[in-house]
Amino acid sequence: MRSTRAQPKVSAKLALGSAFFQGEHLVKEKKSRSVAKATSPTTGQMGPELKEALDKFVSDNKLVLFMKGTKDFPQCGFSNTCVQILNQFGAPYETVNVLEDEAIRQGMKEYSSWPTFPQMYIDGEFYGGCDIMIETYQSGELQEEIEKTMAS
Amino acid sequence: MAYSKDDIEKILRERLEATNVTVEDTSGGCGSSFDVVLLVSSAFEGKKPLEKHRLVNNALAEEMKTIHALSIKKLLTPEQYSSQCA
Repeated sequence: MRSTRAQPKVSAKLALGSAFFQGEHLVKEKKSRSVAKATSPTTGQMGPELKEALDKFVSDNKLVLFMKGTKDFPQCGFSNTCVQILNQFGAPYETVNVLEDEAIRQGMKEYSSWPTFPQMYIDGEFYGGCDIMIETYQSGELQEEIEKTMAS
Repeated sequence: MAYSKDDIEKILRERLEATNVTVEDTSGGCGSSFDVVLLVSSAFEGKKPLEKHRLVNNALAEEMKTIHALSIKKLLTPEQYSSQCA
């Protein structure tokens, strides 16, 4: 019963969208409550409400990086690399700190079918992890993709 | 259990029918972090970068439960590999 009750909290938090992620104070205020088990860590099953909230979040924001830490304080070298790459373009992007929320951290692995972080979303679609960001940054494909997305 | 770079190479060789595999342990030997430096497999033919990476991730799905970081450098088809070496 506990898990079903906890689900709406997490999705409601995500549904706050950019307003939530722009306000670090909101993250901190909600932190104690937000680590509710929206997914069951044992089965890895993701609740439909969390899935919907993620669908909405990645389609409302053209560029989203799910990462460890924040833009200003990445807490993992791979996440830092992606932030540095994204900063080159000057396009606005959102970041989600997966270390702040275990439900999102576990849920995103399933949502993207991708085992690690960071995870980059462009225009609602999973684009890749750090290696793909580096590869496509160097080849110029990433810039093309971002310019195309920002112009649309 | 902790994996060695040889374990990971063997798994990739088997599951992706890779003809050429080089893996490095970047965790200093504790088996939690690996670089796939080079992997040559015909399974990569006609695949986009994301799809190629997914093939590798899927091949290591079970092992990824204990591996903390996996960095994938070069994924080539046998054709791409031979033209690089020529």
